[in-house]
Amino acid sequence: MKETIYQTVCPGCGIGCGLYIRENGNGSVSIDFLKSSPVNLGKLCRFGMKLPYYYSRPASSKTEGVVSGAEEAVKAAASRLKNAGKIAMLSAGNTTCEEHIAFTRLAETLGTVVHTGIPVYQELPSECHPHLEGMPLAEIENAEKIVLFIDPYVQYPLLVRRLLVARRNGAHIISAGTKELHLAHENRDLSPEQYAELELDSNSVIIADVHPHTESCHTKQLLNLALETGARIHFMKPFINSEGANRLARDKAGMMGISHIMDEIEKGDIKTLFLLDSDPLEMMPDSDRTANALNKLDNLIVISSRDSPITEIANVVIATEPLYRKRGTFINAEGKLRENSGQEVAGIDAMSLLSRELGSEGFEYRQMHGYLHERMIETLANENRKPEYGIMQCAPVQHNGACILKYLFNPFMWANQPDDNDFVLLNMNMVRSLKLRKGGMVRLDSEKGSMKMRYRVERVPDGMILTARKLQVATGTNTTVKVEGC
Amino acid sequence: MVGIGDKLLGYATNPDVRNRGASGGLVTAVLAAALEKGMVEGVVVLKRIDEYEAIPVITDDVQEVLASGGSMHAVPVNLTKHAVGRKIAMPGKPCDVRGVIEQAKRNGVDLENTYIVGLNCGGSMHPVVTREMLIRMYEIDPEDVVGEEIEKGKLIFKTKDGEEKAISIDELEEAGYGRRENCRYCTIKIPTNADLACGNWGVIGELAGSATFCEVMNEKGKRLLDNAIEAGFIEVQPADEKSIAIRNKVNSAMLKLGDEWKGRLLTEIHDQERLTYYIEQFADCIDCGACREVCPVCTCGEDSKCTMFHSLADNYKMSMYHMVRLLHLSDSCIGCGQCSDICPVDIPVTTIFRRFADPAQKKRDYSPGMDLQRPPFLELMLK
Repeated sequence: MKETIYQTVCPGCGIGCGLYIRENGNGSVSIDFLKSSPVNLGKLCRFGMKLPYYYSRPASSKTEGVVSGAEEAVKAAASRLKNAGKIAMLSAGNTTCEEHIAFTRLAETLGTVVHTGIPVYQELPSECHPHLEGMPLAEIENAEKIVLFIDPYVQYPLLVRRLLVARRNGAHIISAGTKELHLAHENRDLSPEQYAELELDSNSVIIADVHPHTESCHTKQLLNLALETGARIHFMKPFINSEGANRLARDKAGMMGISHIMDEIEKGDIKTLFLLDSDPLEMMPDSDRTANALNKLDNLIVISSRDSPITEIANVVIATEPLYRKRGTFINAEGKLRENSGQEVAGIDAMSLLSRELGSEGFEYRQMHGYLHERMIETLANENRKPEYGIMQCAPVQHNGACILKYLFNPFMWANQPDDNDFVLLNMNMVRSLKLRKGGMVRLDSEKGSMKMRYRVERVPDGMILTARKLQVATGTNTTVKVEGC
Repeated sequence: MVGIGDKLLGYATNPDVRNRGASGGLVTAVLAAALEKGMVEGVVVLKRIDEYEAIPVITDDVQEVLASGGSMHAVPVNLTKHAVGRKIAMPGKPCDVRGVIEQAKRNGVDLENTYIVGLNCGGSMHPVVTREMLIRMYEIDPEDVVGEEIEKGKLIFKTKDGEEKAISIDELEEAGYGRRENCRYCTIKIPTNADLACGNWGVIGELAGSATFCEVMNEKGKRLLDNAIEAGFIEVQPADEKSIAIRNKVNSAMLKLGDEWKGRLLTEIHDQERLTYYIEQFADCIDCGACREVCPVCTCGEDSKCTMFHSLADNYKMSMYHMVRLLHLSDSCIGCGQCSDICPVDIPVTTIFRRFADPAQKKRDYSPGMDLQRPPFLELMLK
């Protein structure tokens, strides 16, 4: 009848919702609500409610595809890394700050850097980087005007309640995204040239996100808008510790986006990929193309707390404890330090052993945590920074074609979890022109193939089809498709 | 030996338990004795994290039960589901007890194996709201609080330095603080539906603060109390007329206040406005399903009607999920407030459901979760 209860943070996105994970005597896992968590008051979204499934597949250490002990896997990883050529290391922010720091130590030993996979850091001037850090979510509630360039209902659901509070407090909310939002007073499909019509000022807040597939031009346009109007800008981030991983980066300008890394692998310039709780097969829009690229690697080494598609094909998997059991901290999208109650450090210990195997010094959890305090604590307070960047020029990517299938990136898509989101969103004009039957299907054809999907009618721009799950016909975040009723 | 219907004053014999418990540690000692003597396999206790956070755990360790105790008004959890499929003893607010009885009607809980020590409840508070209230209304640092109590219509906080500060609940609630909304209109304050109904109302004189008023509600309650006396865990004495009268008076005052809130919040929805009201209220729902998951009376499991008839791909203006749940819960919603607490978009789910269920329950003079005598009016009772 004994139960073990862990206080932890939801790995669904960067908001950092607090919750309990309850391990029952039979090993099963359930969630419980941490109502005293100031971030979410115990509330969870659909992804958080499905965490027992997320945690149902713990990772196993593997050496050359065969289940092995963690120590054997570490030695095999060391052997491969010693003889490797150009190594790319990726930690997107799916684990604790302390593990991320330990991974960075390994990168120093290997003479490389840790990439977080978000391309805008490389593509934007460094003086912009501080403005990509989040602001306190409570301050959103006091804004007079809010412009949304995200769909909070699907992408960052725990943001919805903040926006509803803001609305009750008198904020005027404008959705400038691709989908009509119930909570918005206005839903506007604006081109960047029309942003002046938003009439923002210093009491306004712009809410957008940066993630592994954010187009830097879009981010530049939003930063320009903030600069010109004096509005504050808040960027949401997709992973539990995206904020921490990016704040911890020493050389943000040197960090490659995940697409860039995959391009280099495809070209054969990168032959060794070393991952910390980051799965390109989940994060890239086209899993087939990504799998083909990964096949070109000489070494694919993965440190992971859960089983995912990448652990199936890796040469070496070093398994660590589930995220909720880890000792360590996370920094959420508003810059708050969140802490696990778990005390396990198998991940740090494995990386320490690997460091020694590579001829460097080992390390302990407390050193990693100490470094975090030295480096980060003083920067956690989020003052309203004055912009120190200038207006940036950019040319947006043009998408030609009759219809564009667009990914609506959300926690289920990043984590490859099942959900009942097996439909696409399209507008009434498309339903009428294709004479779609209620309850029927729509066929999507791209250069990759064809598939049938259920559909739901939403107010989205003409010619746009949105999906909240990864589809086999997709070739990128935006895919040109031909659509037919069926 | 005690008798059914007895009204007693009692306390734990262990001085530590007596001092630590909110009212003499009787409830803690009764639960510990039930475990010690093998009446149950486990006890549900609130594992205290701090003054504003605790988590229910089931333990088979008597010492862990004895180490628990103390009232926590700012920890609004419902314990019902911890009773499912287990032979346990548990403390319970009236809504916990009502949840267990609704589960029993659907064979989710075997009442023969479940002992419930009921606790009087004037209402509970949300921990984060409570912290804000302490700063703004009481001008107290939340970290300095060492205890709280509701007495004579006032919410009292005690601080590390021995100070007490009291503000009337009316004043707090007018300012948007105080009890959770559902607690304000709750009309069961003394858990007469439990095996024992315990609390500090009616404990006066030299026993005030160090004893519990306890009413034996049924045969199981008698067994619990006899067991604890026999094990030497508690001592009891009959409550005098004055104590009984004071307890009744406090209860009447709380019920009157509850009725007033009910009149304010559970107003009738006119036919012309009904559809618009429900569509608008649920429009921001993000389909997390947490309200179903946390509902203490739901026994449906994975393949429930509300989820089977609902699809995210639907274009209904109001989801089938909520339509089915409104109907389904009209004979079983106990107004515990859990669904409102955990709704990620702050939909006042409990009040919406109570506004739907109240007229139906009133028409049939039916209160869910009070006893096993009457079946739910929309369902077959399995028990």
